[in-house]
Amino acid sequence: MALSFFDQFMSPTYLGVPLVALALSLPWVLYPTPSSRWLNNRLLTLQGWFLNRFTQQLFLPLNVGGHKWAVLLASLMVFLITLNMLGLLPYTFTPTTQLSLNMGLAVPLWLATVAIGMRNQPTAALGHLLPEGTPTPLIPVLIIIETISLFIRPLALGVRLTANLTAGHLLIQLIATAAFVLAPMMPAVAISAAVVLFLLTLLEVAVAMIQAYVFVLLLSLYLQENV
Amino acid sequence: MLSRLVLVSASALKSSRPLGAGLVQASRSFNTSPQTLAPVPPLPEKGGKVRHGLIPEEFFQLLYPKTGVTGPYMLGTGLLLYLLSKEIYVINHETIAGACIGIVIVYGIKKFGPSVAAFADKLNEEKVAKAQEAKDLALNNLTQAIEDEKKEQWRAEGRQMLFDAKRNNVNMLLEINSRERHHMVTNEVKKRLDYQIDLQNLHRRMQQEHMVNWVEKSVIGSITPQQEKESIAKCISDLKKLAQARAAV
Repeated sequence: MALSFFDQFMSPTYLGVPLVALALSLPWVLYPTPSSRWLNNRLLTLQGWFLNRFTQQLFLPLNVGGHKWAVLLASLMVFLITLNMLGLLPYTFTPTTQLSLNMGLAVPLWLATVAIGMRNQPTAALGHLLPEGTPTPLIPVLIIIETISLFIRPLALGVRLTANLTAGHLLIQLIATAAFVLAPMMPAVAISAAVVLFLLTLLEVAVAMIQAYVFVLLLSLYLQENV
Repeated sequence: MLSRLVLVSASALKSSRPLGAGLVQASRSFNTSPQTLAPVPPLPEKGGKVRHGLIPEEFFQLLYPKTGVTGPYMLGTGLLLYLLSKEIYVINHETIAGACIGIVIVYGIKKFGPSVAAFADKLNEEKVAKAQEAKDLALNNLTQAIEDEKKEQWRAEGRQMLFDAKRNNVNMLLEINSRERHHMVTNEVKKRLDYQIDLQNLHRRMQQEHMVNWVEKSVIGSITPQQEKESIAKCISDLKKLAQARAAV
């Protein structure tokens, strides 16, 4: 019984055909293509408005060189939010629970920011390794610490997203199983478990949106440092 | 030139029997058919009607003639019970989790749906309002320009009256001026003539006075002293007589 809790995180296959490509590409079907009409339907209007506002807010602190990343970060945000929110439905597979996917998103993007920083302004990029106003004897230690923190960033990005979503999904499964199993035996406890499940679902909705936003925000911050 | 080539080859290929039908598609002439639908057809303003947020209204209309109002609901219930009883859909912990997220989704849509829809409509309304405002402004400006032009035309007509009035004014001034000058001339001439008259009068008077003086002088000179004495004696005797006459009365 305990092992089947992790079945939800297995990459979906059907008759030997891996479906993970579908799981990654089908969420995009939910977003209509912007049309060349002047006035659109509500969905398209809201989508356009949301993307505009989000991109504007995210790229406010960045200088013009960083604005090249606007399409990438906005689409990444939409992608992660959709994957996370769709994963809250029952019987769905959430690709962002896979460490491979999240590391695959985090490492190249983080490496790109570092490479851009090193190429365009190497002095400033290296200067980030030493915060201002450190006392002189602490300088070597601090440089080592900052380097370690620099290299831990992609790991943190990927693992944060994975851990949050996996933990959330696992909790939902556990508490739902508890409510389900206890329902014939101790209905009162089952009802309280159901209430806990309801609150947890609300939390998971929030976490799904926040984690996606945090991922993209941190990337934009790393970009801000280096561009 | 190339389009003519295409047309010629298209007709040649169409006439070739075995491959004709298949090649017609590929050698269709370009930009002649209305496939681009250049004036884009308008979208419907509202989306299709749905019942319970999921099932289109057309489904209920489809079943209405045969099964009435409750038909689709009976179908749904039957379907659900079939899935449950045959354990095609197994109830497990996912059902409870699904029920929870379902409650959250339905509550979210019911609570925030209308306001989000109103917001989206407002975004579109603002777009339309801005364009409408620009259009209205332009329209107002042009109507105002038309009215101003009409007023100017009316003023231009009125200018004729103004010109007439001014012309009359000027003529009157000229008339006044000429009459004043006439008067002045008359006065001056009269003054000259008066002077001459006065001069003549003066001459006559002087001549008269001179003659009178000469006559007097000559008379006085011709009076001899004897004559004077006689006249005085006569006067005295006359006076005495009168006095006697008076005293007698």
